[in-house]
Amino acid sequence: MTIVSASSGVEVGGVILEAQGLVLSFGETPALRGANLSVERGEVLAVMGPSGSGKSTLLYCLAGILVPDAGVVRFDGRRLDDQSEKERSKLRRDRFGFVFQFGQLVPELTAEENVALPLLLGGTPRAEALTVARGWFERLGLEGMECHRTGEMSGGQAQRVALARGLVAQPDVLFADEPTGSLDSLNGEVVMDLLTRAARDQGTTVIIVTHEARVAAYADREVVVRDGLVTSTASATR
Amino acid sequence: MIRLGLRLTLRSGREALLRVAGTAVAVALGVGLLLCALAGVNGLHAQADRGAWLDTSAQTAPSTSGGSTAEPLWWLYSVDQYGSQAIDRVDVAATGPNSPIPPGIRHLPGAGELYASPALTSLMASVPPSELGDRFPGHQVGIIGASALPSPESLVVVVGNDVHQLSRVPGAAKVRGIQQSLANCFSCQSNSGSGSGPILKWILAGAAVVLFVPVLILIATASRLSAARREERFAAMRLIGATPHQVSAIAAVEASVAAVAGVAVGFVLYFLLRLLLVHVQFTGAPLAPGDLSLTWTDVLVVVIGIPIAAVASARAGLRRVRISPLGVTRRVTSPPPGAARMIPLLAGVALLAYFAIAGKPQGNTSQMVELVGGLLLILVGLMLAGPWLTRMGSQLMAARANRVATLIAGRRLLDNPRAAFRSISGLVLALFVTSAAIGALGSIVASTSQVGGPRSADTVAVQFCGLTTSCDFSNSVRTVPAAEVAKLRNAPGVRDVTVVHVDPSAAQRMNGVGVVSCGALAKTPAIGKCVPRADVAAIGFFLGQNEVAKSPSLKVWPPAGLSTASIAGLPVEAVVFATDGSSSALEQARTSLVQAFPFQGPPVVVDAIGPSQLRLLAMIRNLTQVVVVASLIIAACSLAVNIAAGLSERKRPFGLLRLTGVPTAVLRRVVALESALPLLMVAVVSIVVGLLAAALFLRSQLDFTFRVPGLAYWATVVCGLAASLAIIASTFPLLSRMTGPEVARND
Repeated sequence: MTIVSASSGVEVGGVILEAQGLVLSFGETPALRGANLSVERGEVLAVMGPSGSGKSTLLYCLAGILVPDAGVVRFDGRRLDDQSEKERSKLRRDRFGFVFQFGQLVPELTAEENVALPLLLGGTPRAEALTVARGWFERLGLEGMECHRTGEMSGGQAQRVALARGLVAQPDVLFADEPTGSLDSLNGEVVMDLLTRAARDQGTTVIIVTHEARVAAYADREVVVRDGLVTSTASATR
Repeated sequence: MIRLGLRLTLRSGREALLRVAGTAVAVALGVGLLLCALAGVNGLHAQADRGAWLDTSAQTAPSTSGGSTAEPLWWLYSVDQYGSQAIDRVDVAATGPNSPIPPGIRHLPGAGELYASPALTSLMASVPPSELGDRFPGHQVGIIGASALPSPESLVVVVGNDVHQLSRVPGAAKVRGIQQSLANCFSCQSNSGSGSGPILKWILAGAAVVLFVPVLILIATASRLSAARREERFAAMRLIGATPHQVSAIAAVEASVAAVAGVAVGFVLYFLLRLLLVHVQFTGAPLAPGDLSLTWTDVLVVVIGIPIAAVASARAGLRRVRISPLGVTRRVTSPPPGAARMIPLLAGVALLAYFAIAGKPQGNTSQMVELVGGLLLILVGLMLAGPWLTRMGSQLMAARANRVATLIAGRRLLDNPRAAFRSISGLVLALFVTSAAIGALGSIVASTSQVGGPRSADTVAVQFCGLTTSCDFSNSVRTVPAAEVAKLRNAPGVRDVTVVHVDPSAAQRMNGVGVVSCGALAKTPAIGKCVPRADVAAIGFFLGQNEVAKSPSLKVWPPAGLSTASIAGLPVEAVVFATDGSSSALEQARTSLVQAFPFQGPPVVVDAIGPSQLRLLAMIRNLTQVVVVASLIIAACSLAVNIAAGLSERKRPFGLLRLTGVPTAVLRRVVALESALPLLMVAVVSIVVGLLAAALFLRSQLDFTFRVPGLAYWATVVCGLAASLAIIASTFPLLSRMTGPEVARND
């Protein structure tokens, strides 16, 4: 069931993404052994777990980057795992946003052009895409950085630009894989604060893979992945 | 340190090994192409050297291998033709049993004997003797061996003569040795030879330069492949205590390992490519088996030189960056190339344009200054302007980009236009030189084959006292008996015969060919016409090799002030045949003229370029086409290496873009645009400037109308570009492999 929030006017509630019995191995090494997960629309979910537990693999299966050997992934009620690579790519481009740990900005482009990339890929005219992209700079405290290149920004600034790129096309789901992994704690908190606030403002569901409790604290709910299984789930205190 | 370097290079895991392998493969590609270029140039030299004996002259040094200076050989060289094929004819007469013997034959032919090349022997057997065989008096006593033939298809004949007869022929020379190679042929000046020796040397040198420069650029690019990753690793080594000297030594070891491996694989590649290369007709004539070979010097230069150059390039690369324990920083951020770089190019064009408008300067030195100065300025100007033009093109592309691929590619090129241009700068040299050559030669050939109109191809003439030979009028054919003229006139396919007589006025002889009765001239309109009511005309030069710019058929010759009867007894200067234009009639006319007037030079078609020059032009055209295609392919290989380097630098952002749903096609477009844009831009600019230079040169020096090169040239360029784009496209699988999902790993 979908509920519309009276305050923001965006849809909340109802399952948007669901994984059932996901199994995936890399050669002889099992990464997922029957993982189950359900994510509500508008929810901010933290996927935690130790290194090598399969949390990133689970995120890539949910995002349609990897196809599980067995099990089902449903997005918005439609199976995702049996779609072609082309269909999944389109879905990722049009409905999902991504933030990775580092190195995701195209080095030749300016910060604003990097942010505008998803809009340009969606066919938005350049001038309009750049105008929308510039709007994110003030929101993320990056005023004056619009024309800077990757090498001219600090790690925290680059990550905020990446965050703006992940959210600029107003995706249904934002996947963040260790988004603060390469930042100090102060910058990490700034990024997480901005990420969750912006996502909530536009009703974007967020799935964050992290191994840091302080990052997970920004989520509505936490799940823990261990040995390829989602072993526990709990609502965050926040 | 060397041991450590080797261990780090070969035993630092899969990635390090792959990096060295990648560099080695790129170097191998360059080395393979370099060896092919060397073998090709050697093949051309071998071909030219085998034909050098035709350039034998009185100045040729006595040969040590045989012959006696006391018993010289009488020698007369001429170039005849059958259809469009040139026939090298050497008339010889031995003064004794020890006279020097040309290569390819065991004995000198005696009077009434001849040797012919295999191709000429077959040709003579396949056509009626009246069209070809009867031109060579005597019977064939042997076949000229391959050692004396530039190509297996060469048409060559050595005709034996009586000493007393040949010694009286103008132009015949006493030779004491046979020219062995082109190496020392400057002494012979080639006026009496094939006329192509010194020119050929320059052409071969030019071809070598335009082929080697792009290949060397490719090798330099290859040896810097994955330099960025290497530098990062060196920074990590500095962190654990390595000194800059140690880092530099390790870099040298790594570069030389890759280069040595590349050289080894390059030789294998060369032997594979040679199988294809033997089919390339560099000069229009196929090479003989074994022509494509490498000298020991070539092998040593490549085996030793390439690793040394790779080490030097790696060390030079390290000097451009500062590797500290905390990372790698560029020492200098060079300012973007400015518009001032256009000045030499514009100056070169302006220089040629000035002379095109003001007319050519007086004197050979001034003309050389105009030609060499103008062309060199343009060439240097193109190399300097290249980065600026690349910058302007990419700026335009990035500013107007509405698509992601165009935006990224434009920004990438704008980031470092010098580097983008560097990998294809060799192409500028090749395309400019070849376009200018094709533009000029094509226009000359087109002018000479078209201005004469329909009549030019049907009229054959023999001139006894051309401008190029020092003419002793006592040797002119005094008279042509009326019975002889009637016999010639009755030959199949002959419409009429006109006899041109020697002008009795010595002053006028300097400016023209002779005098002709207007009645006769009217029957051979291809050589011009009289003013109305004139009886005898003073006719000027009308044979193609004398003045190719103006068609004689359009000339109206001034009256000579003589009567038809008064010129009948004058010595004959030229005999002109008007035929029905069929090839059979033309060849029969040629044969009749050779038989009737032996040793007077080969008959030529009015308005046409002589067979020797025609062969040289065809050779240049073929060589140009080979160079165009080769340089485009080499440039594309440089670009492919650059693409690999660029992808390795941007592996992660591109890989992550793919994960976010960016179609691989978009990334492919980025790569294609980054490479194809400079390639196409440089190709267009070089070709346009080359053709412009040719047009200005033709106008100023020769007063020719420039003609855009024909379809064959454009087809060559398009095919070369298509091959280049195919090579660029061949890197696409690399893109898919390098940007797979594994790049998302946070390690």
